Amino acid sequence: MELYENRSSTVEFDPMCDKENPQRISFEDVSAAAFRIQSGITKTPCVKSHMSSIYGMDIYLKNDFLQYTGSFKERGARNALLLLSPEAKERGVISASLGNHSQGLSYHAKQLNIPVTVVMPNVAPIMKIENCRSYGANVIIHGHDMKEAKYYAMMLAKEKGLVYINGYDHPHIMAGQGTVALEILEQVPDLDAVLVPVGGGGLLAGVVTAVKHLKPHVLIYGVETEKCPSMEVALDKGEPMSVEIRSTLADGLAVSTVGYNAFATVKSLIDRMITVNEDWIARAILRLAEQEKYVVEGGGAVGVSAIMAGHVPELAGKKVVCILSGGNIDTTIFGRCLERGLAAEQRLVKFKVTVSDRPGGIAELCKLIASIGVSIKDIMQERAWVYGDIFSVRVKVVCETRGPEHMNQLRSMITNTYKEWYFSREPEDCSSNRRPSSDSLDDVSK
Amino acid sequence: MLDRCLCFSHYYRFIYLHFVNQSYVIENTIKPYLLNKIIYSIQDVEFDEFCDPNNPRKIKYDDILAASRRIVGTIVKTPCTRAHMSDKLDMDIYLKQEFMQYTGCFKERGVRNTLLLLSEEQKKIGVISASTGNHGLSMSYHTTQLGIPCIVVMPTRAPITKLTKCQSFGAKTLLHGENMAESKHYAMSLSKEKKLYYVNGYDHPNVIEGQGTIGIEIIEQVPEVDAVLVPVGGGSLLTGIAIAVKHLKPDTEVYGIQTEKTYSMVEALKRNERVRITIDSTIADGLAVNLAGVNTFHNLKTGIVDKMVIVKEDWVARAIMHLVEEERYVVEGSAAVTIASIMAGLFPNLKGKKVVCVLSGGNIDTTTLARALERGMAAEGRLVKFKVTVSDRPGGMAELCGLLANLGVTLRDCIPERAWVKGDVFSVEMKVIAETRGWDHTKELIELIKRKYKDCFFPETNEKSDKAPGARRGPCLAPNPVCMQK
Repeated sequence: MELYENRSSTVEFDPMCDKENPQRISFEDVSAAAFRIQSGITKTPCVKSHMSSIYGMDIYLKNDFLQYTGSFKERGARNALLLLSPEAKERGVISASLGNHSQGLSYHAKQLNIPVTVVMPNVAPIMKIENCRSYGANVIIHGHDMKEAKYYAMMLAKEKGLVYINGYDHPHIMAGQGTVALEILEQVPDLDAVLVPVGGGGLLAGVVTAVKHLKPHVLIYGVETEKCPSMEVALDKGEPMSVEIRSTLADGLAVSTVGYNAFATVKSLIDRMITVNEDWIARAILRLAEQEKYVVEGGGAVGVSAIMAGHVPELAGKKVVCILSGGNIDTTIFGRCLERGLAAEQRLVKFKVTVSDRPGGIAELCKLIASIGVSIKDIMQERAWVYGDIFSVRVKVVCETRGPEHMNQLRSMITNTYKEWYFSREPEDCSSNRRPSSDSLDDVSK
Repeated sequence: MLDRCLCFSHYYRFIYLHFVNQSYVIENTIKPYLLNKIIYSIQDVEFDEFCDPNNPRKIKYDDILAASRRIVGTIVKTPCTRAHMSDKLDMDIYLKQEFMQYTGCFKERGVRNTLLLLSEEQKKIGVISASTGNHGLSMSYHTTQLGIPCIVVMPTRAPITKLTKCQSFGAKTLLHGENMAESKHYAMSLSKEKKLYYVNGYDHPNVIEGQGTIGIEIIEQVPEVDAVLVPVGGGSLLTGIAIAVKHLKPDTEVYGIQTEKTYSMVEALKRNERVRITIDSTIADGLAVNLAGVNTFHNLKTGIVDKMVIVKEDWVARAIMHLVEEERYVVEGSAAVTIASIMAGLFPNLKGKKVVCVLSGGNIDTTTLARALERGMAAEGRLVKFKVTVSDRPGGMAELCGLLANLGVTLRDCIPERAWVKGDVFSVEMKVIAETRGWDHTKELIELIKRKYKDCFFPETNEKSDKAPGARRGPCLAPNPVCMQK
């Protein structure tokens, strides 16, 4: 690691994202970008959500996951590519990214006939690697995490004279991302607040620049996940600081240090930063899939999860726009989120109960559960690690209920009928008793 | 006819059997009289003047046009956008996003049209309907909006989510009956009793006219459309769209799609009479209608539809997965049949043409969605299941896991089996479920496992799996539970 640190001043130095010389973007950059990229970007709808009545506010969803590569990053990528000098376009570009930025860059570079190389760490999801390849990029898999991949990318950039495009901090990128805000202002002219997901800060910087210039009274809230609160820490300390990245549902937001340019742009203009618990993100993904029929990734659903978790009571009765920044969620993870969301809403219940091992013991349990309209999803028997008499078996049941009251009904029925039982999570008020996100979501031992 | 009345109601059967035990006189005089009364009363109960087999209604384009003006502003004029999958499937595919309607399904159009055409007195008395799904939801929502009292009757085993949704929209729900037929009978008897207006969800003429407004919007949004693919349950959507589209642009081809389990309309058109079929559980539950509608069949048998197509249910699960992955929309099985039929290669004649697929709804049960995603992945070779015998000593399993990891394969599930194994006592059979990048990656995995381990078993891994969904359910109907695993 020492070797890397010595060389960091030359290899890792990106003139466009220099700590000593942060660049702020201006409104003119954003509006020029809007004009420049309009032929290649979808102007996505901004629709009123069905959830508005439930939360007592007018919620609008900016559907940027409907872009061709599934995320808003295309805007910045296209802008940056169009602003390259002709020689740079000949030589090509390179970037290190775990996902959406590399896909957006690959797609538009192919459209504009610019050679593109993308470096990804070996933990990158299979789908994203395949997608970049199918868009025509030269994909290199190197490194165990983003740091190593980025280092390698910058080294290649210096070697081959390629232009390195940082996915969230390059000023042209930030200007491109800001075009979302211009569309929002056009589609919902009388809005009161915008909830923006924050990873490296590029989107937030662009949005804040555009909105505050045209309508300074509109509140801009940045939303992050509890597991990677890089912007909140940066605003606290007054400068971008490195935050440890833990595995998170919102993998698009897993950036350990916010961008220098982004921070410089954002720090004086933003109204508030919010962090959300991972459980709420899973619930938001479930809610968006069930009610709006949209497939949104964790990073895109944080805005909605902030509303669902009750973090913005002051916005009641107001017009709030949530930017659904992307939809590139791995299918398996999507399935998992649906299940976790159901569990968090107490519509999926797990409990253990000791029943008689004689014929009829389990049948009686199943009949009891069915009698109140609960559907059994999974049932497992445990015979060895049981303390009761030898004729009893401990049954672990996973079942589906209608909601918290139904679950309570089930719980009281089980506790009244059987002597030995264990419910894995206390059915208390959801917002107060959330376990902190620092606990691993993989803890299935309970 | 006697059979019909017997199986409809146990109560009437009780009377019949009771009288069987009486004397000959009663047998020959009172019994027939009573039976006739029973038969006529059942016929009275189930008689719906708008869906009368003796008087089928013809649907006219002018009524559809009137409907479109009537419901404007109250239902969503849904977008019809080009699909990202078009290039892969070699066609210009447009998706009519009817799942964007407020209740998540196109049925709102027909319902709104019907409700607006009720007389003022009827609006005060109220409406009733029997439905476990989208029709019930649409009724609940629009009747509350218009201030019309509404009752929705569902069978006692109706899915929990649909029940709570109807209640949340403000309708009064009644649970009655073991299946839809009994619920419908009960609903109709209530309607006769209380003078409520019974709205048949797929056969009422006003409903069909409402659904037809989609056809008008399609022609507006994609003026050069070559073909329209429509899912078919009771037939209202197909009838309405076919009439509208053929009137506005006669050279457009209209195809009706059903699945191998929900084929009532296909059978009816083949035999030229409405045939009742039995339907088991299907992934396209919105299309699970036993008997094609009276009016719909009457209008369709004149041949306005170019062809009816049947698609296998496996393809529907794969289509749901592709719509989630590539278009990022959550659609229900009934809507995905359109894309499924294209993916299954059932329309080679439409290559390079402009095809509109009507994605009729998005109300899929969340657990079903998760299962459909898994089945889709399995069908595409991205989920592999195999058994391999490893050493039960320390390191046996670790070696297997390490092998998989080196290949870049994700390990989903790993279940050891010790009792039903034929090898030596020190070996354990591992049942492994792993996730790969695709068929090539799977082949690499298979070769590697076969090389390293003597005893391994891979189930049939061909590309077109013919297994019907739901084949491996345990007694409690949980899919692939431990008790059903080999």
